[in-house]
Amino acid sequence: MSVQSVPDIAGLAEHLRGVTVEVTDAGDLLGSGVLWPAGCVVTNAHVVRRPEATVRLVDGRCLRARVLARDVDADLALLGVLGTGLAAATLAEPDTVRIGSFVAAVGHPYGLRGALSAGIVCAIGPIERNGRPWIQADLRLAPGSSGGPLADAAGRIVGVNSRAAGSLALAVPLSVVARFVETARV
Amino acid sequence: MNGLQSLSNDLAAAVERAGRAVFAVNGRARLGSTGVHWRPGLVVTADHTVHVEEEVTITGPDGRALTARVAGRDPTIDVAVLKVDAPGVAVAEIADSDAVRVGHIVLALGAGPRASWGVVSSVGDKQMLHLDLTLYPGFSGGPLVDAQGRVVGINTSGASRHWRLAIPAAAVSRVVDELQRRGRIPRAYLGVSTQPVRLPEPVRQRLNLDQQTAVIVVEVQAESPAAAAGLTIGDVIVSLGATRIADPTDLKSALRPDRVGERITALVLRGGEPKDLQVTVGERPKRT
Repeated sequence: MSVQSVPDIAGLAEHLRGVTVEVTDAGDLLGSGVLWPAGCVVTNAHVVRRPEATVRLVDGRCLRARVLARDVDADLALLGVLGTGLAAATLAEPDTVRIGSFVAAVGHPYGLRGALSAGIVCAIGPIERNGRPWIQADLRLAPGSSGGPLADAAGRIVGVNSRAAGSLALAVPLSVVARFVETARV
Repeated sequence: MNGLQSLSNDLAAAVERAGRAVFAVNGRARLGSTGVHWRPGLVVTADHTVHVEEEVTITGPDGRALTARVAGRDPTIDVAVLKVDAPGVAVAEIADSDAVRVGHIVLALGAGPRASWGVVSSVGDKQMLHLDLTLYPGFSGGPLVDAQGRVVGINTSGASRHWRLAIPAAAVSRVVDELQRRGRIPRAYLGVSTQPVRLPEPVRQRLNLDQQTAVIVVEVQAESPAAAAGLTIGDVIVSLGATRIADPTDLKSALRPDRVGERITALVLRGGEPKDLQVTVGERPKRT
């Protein structure tokens, strides 16, 4: 087997770490977040319960963040951050993710900074009758992963990780995230 | 496109392709399972998920609900075969499961379709494939597919508490062959009860045996194939045909449905001396 045929997951991890932040409050880790759109961080509503928080970038810089919008039903929150030279995540085309396709999650499970987990899309849709749709991924999430990116093989964001259901990871689909951000920024 | 993106596309394509032959099986009260359209009109699933005796409702990949009939079972490898009229539903492409190697990337599919991925951990003695992947609730009976979307086995969580296992496609096809040949799946039968026994070191050396254990016959049923072959209580069965018998489960898995009627040489130890006995595998009589 040639070395070139081994997929570059390390490169993907490095890229995703650059757009993933830690969301903290008074030094306590609350969860993860995605740098997107410019000047903002998207995370889960259950991660930020107070009007302000601190985000820590991959380079160690800590920035004050203000909660601009929260949607508890969608489990999404938008934070505004002030800083220069902030990276911004690249998004996939909404609703293009396929069952079986490779996905990776980056977050800070149990405080482990920038941890990667990799898997595939198990299913797309609700996990209970009349529930809301999730991207269900066959990969491991743990407390501290919440709010971090779920990305495709090219590092484009396909969802925001929300919680684990057994050994399944549940992520808010990008289309829901994009709609939330659009509404929040009006 | 990078290597990871092409792998990702391959896996998604494999799910899509294999998913066209996947059924949801409603054979038990709470949790449904999964089935594979193995041959035209024959759907294979995990035997432990089919609690009904005759008719079972299955749902095709197109969402159509169909009534299937339980055509046969082989509980020794956890396979049930359902007969259904399913025109327009694709038949799975079955791969050579003997070519599966440790480390191959595989996908497990559940009805929906849903998918999980992992690698083959061990191919052991070829009777079962051991997997490093998650079998989610309802995945039992579903296909284990390779990165090309070809079916290499049937997943089951019913056979072991500790391992994620798949029945190799070759073993499934043997059962389906029997069903098509005889119209039913016979249960192979010798008519003995056995217990594991440690082989004494001098005997192992003298007979050049690499196995540590064998099975000792503790009961011979009257008028059974074992009785006809002259097996008696106290005989130690070391091998049956080419299969070495280290414990009673080896004996069970050697008695495949397609062996009914076959004449096999059993190597036994009687009073410490090796002896070849010719056994004709019978069919288990129906319980009365």
